[in-house]
Amino acid sequence: MGGVEDDEPPSKRVKVSSGESGSVPNGKSSTEQGSCSLSNPMARLLASGGDDEVVGSKGIIKKVELVRIIAEALYSLGYEKTGKRLEEESGIPLHSAVVCLFMQRILDGQWDESVATLHEIELGDENIIKLASFVILEQKFFELLDGEKVMDALKTLRTEIAPLRINDDRVRELSYLIVSPSQSLLDGTSGRESKAKSRRSLLEQLQKLLPPAVIIPENRLVLLVEQALDLQIDACRLHNSSVGEMSLLSDHQCGMDQIPSQTLQILREHSDEVWFLEFSHNGKYLASSSGDCLVIVWEIDGQVSVKHRLSGHQKPVSYISWSPDDDQLLTCGVEETVRRWDITSGECLHIYEKTNLGLISCVWAPNGKTIFTGVTDKSITMWDLEGNEVESFGGQRTIRIADLGISTDGRELITVCKENKILLFGWETRSEKFIEEDQTIISFALSEDRKFLLVSLFNEVLHLWNIEGSPKMVAKYKGHKRSRFVVRSCFGGLEQAFIASGSEDSQVYIWHRLSGELILTLTGHSGAVNCVSWNPTNPHMLASASDDRTIHIWGLNRVNMSYNERHGNGVHHANGGT
Amino acid sequence: MDVDPRQYENIGVNENDIHQIVLSYLVHNCFKDTVESFVACTGLKQPVDHLEDMEKRKRIYDFALDGNSSKAIELTEQFAPGLLESNKDLHFDLLSLHFVELVCSRKIDEALGFAQSNFTLFGKEQKYVEKLEDFMALLAYEEPEKSPMFHLLSSEHRQNVADSLNRAILAHAKLPSYSAVERLIQQTTVVKQCLSQEFGKV
Repeated sequence: MGGVEDDEPPSKRVKVSSGESGSVPNGKSSTEQGSCSLSNPMARLLASGGDDEVVGSKGIIKKVELVRIIAEALYSLGYEKTGKRLEEESGIPLHSAVVCLFMQRILDGQWDESVATLHEIELGDENIIKLASFVILEQKFFELLDGEKVMDALKTLRTEIAPLRINDDRVRELSYLIVSPSQSLLDGTSGRESKAKSRRSLLEQLQKLLPPAVIIPENRLVLLVEQALDLQIDACRLHNSSVGEMSLLSDHQCGMDQIPSQTLQILREHSDEVWFLEFSHNGKYLASSSGDCLVIVWEIDGQVSVKHRLSGHQKPVSYISWSPDDDQLLTCGVEETVRRWDITSGECLHIYEKTNLGLISCVWAPNGKTIFTGVTDKSITMWDLEGNEVESFGGQRTIRIADLGISTDGRELITVCKENKILLFGWETRSEKFIEEDQTIISFALSEDRKFLLVSLFNEVLHLWNIEGSPKMVAKYKGHKRSRFVVRSCFGGLEQAFIASGSEDSQVYIWHRLSGELILTLTGHSGAVNCVSWNPTNPHMLASASDDRTIHIWGLNRVNMSYNERHGNGVHHANGGT
Repeated sequence: MDVDPRQYENIGVNENDIHQIVLSYLVHNCFKDTVESFVACTGLKQPVDHLEDMEKRKRIYDFALDGNSSKAIELTEQFAPGLLESNKDLHFDLLSLHFVELVCSRKIDEALGFAQSNFTLFGKEQKYVEKLEDFMALLAYEEPEKSPMFHLLSSEHRQNVADSLNRAILAHAKLPSYSAVERLIQQTTVVKQCLSQEFGKV
């Protein structure tokens, strides 16, 4: 707040009458000059013709309300003279005379008078008057108890509070306090300062109880502006960086420069089509698999470099799952085995296999102690880390799709059980929920919070489902190409505000999740892009895997980047536009 | 061999047992004169002071029933010292009876004072706090009979307290706190219920 330093907006708001000195000193004392000097403006109000005037092009803002909250804002900022001047010039008082009087009496602790004044305010609703009287008298009660005037407090309780006959439970509590007074001291009403403080919070309480037009809520204007800014951020389609500063002077709109759009690095270690890749949870590693049956673990440290080449699988690996702590990796060879690897050493720690059957998918349980695998006989098996089969869930649980997901509490498995159906399987209770699609399902991806499921479908469309409670489809994304192969998609960016997908036209497609708008396509690959993964801890890094045997690492467009660095410490400026 | 409950008429009954049952009822309820003549007629042996004790107990009971709990407490302390210390619930009930008396006679200041000096100790234990809240709430109403706590003023409540006191005094004197006939009726009721359930199943 600018202007005079103060902690007590309400006392500032109560204007001193024209006969007395203008400014109120530090508002800490609880005996302040009261009364409102509004006789002249009141007359002008009657003449100014009414509450119906509106401002703004939409005609939805009432002039009287706007002026009142501006006046409140001026007082809150400490600009008393201006506030007063505004009230006079506009003829619109911040608070009517009787309300001013009421508020002053509360602050002065003139309880009986304030209850009387309360009745003078036209409130219409008997109940509100009673509720308001109740809290005022409660404060009176506490202050009396505090001053050890026990009999007076009891008298107030008996003759003033209880007869209101609202809130008998509270009356009960108050009676008890008379006998055990130490309680009320804990309520913190002792001392002059805290008395003033509790009176101000009483005023706040009353402001909320009474209809909003009676007492203007503190900082209302600031609150409205904050709401507007929030909405601007929500609407910002390209919002992908934590906002450094927001300006009120123009609408917030990020530019394209915050979305990864430039190939920063091309990784050429694989000797065949790259089918799958995924960043670790901590964003420090990337694991990729290829038709060459190799899995490569990459380390990200500015640049991306090879950390391990994991060989052993005899079949290409179609799916990789990072352990919750990123120390280990599960890789699943197509209809083959699942291997568990240690990231630090690159060693294969265990091979999971089933006689005469092949494994098709794998996922870690969130507690890191068990894993689940899909099997070619359509069942799902649960294993402990040592390789013992803990449980087997038979029946039509999964088809030959490599995706297997699990909920945050580890209780629900997500698997494609039929060509067009996804099963949400509570494996402990055997409960089943289904998502039924209208076409063949190709693959799916889970959001980080596991509340949303992105399903990739045969006809080149992605469906986003909310899977909390009963599943509901909430969005669709299209534009990418898919006709022959498995093409994967993912969530990503700041707060997972974006959806990305590979495509058979060699491009990476990026949509804004909330609006469904396609915002960017990335060119660079020379073969179908099979899989994409967005770095969970770096919203500016995206990786894509392609039939052209390469992996592209995408980042921010450097040209625009240095512009921002020159003009503000690398912090994105909200006056967005390029 | 199973005893068939329906063949109860074949069970023999000892006359002395019947006398004891009647006597225990009379003693429990302090029917002093009746006890005197019954004992004379049946020749049952009784301890020397039994009539006097009964008289004292009756007085205590009557005071409690009336709501004059301070008198009841005084006499109890005399007659059965240490009883109230070891019976906190009862002590609390009696004190609160007195409190209620004061509130009803609109002696608010006294009631408040009484509460402050007697109840703060109880207030330290959670199980009494809720009860205390109920009683203290009476202070808040100018017409306690019309308050949500009006049941605390009822004669039923006083009856319950008086009964508890009576039982406690009997127990203290190593006498049974429930009269035999009470127990018999309770047992018979349960048996009847069981039997009707059993036969209901057939």
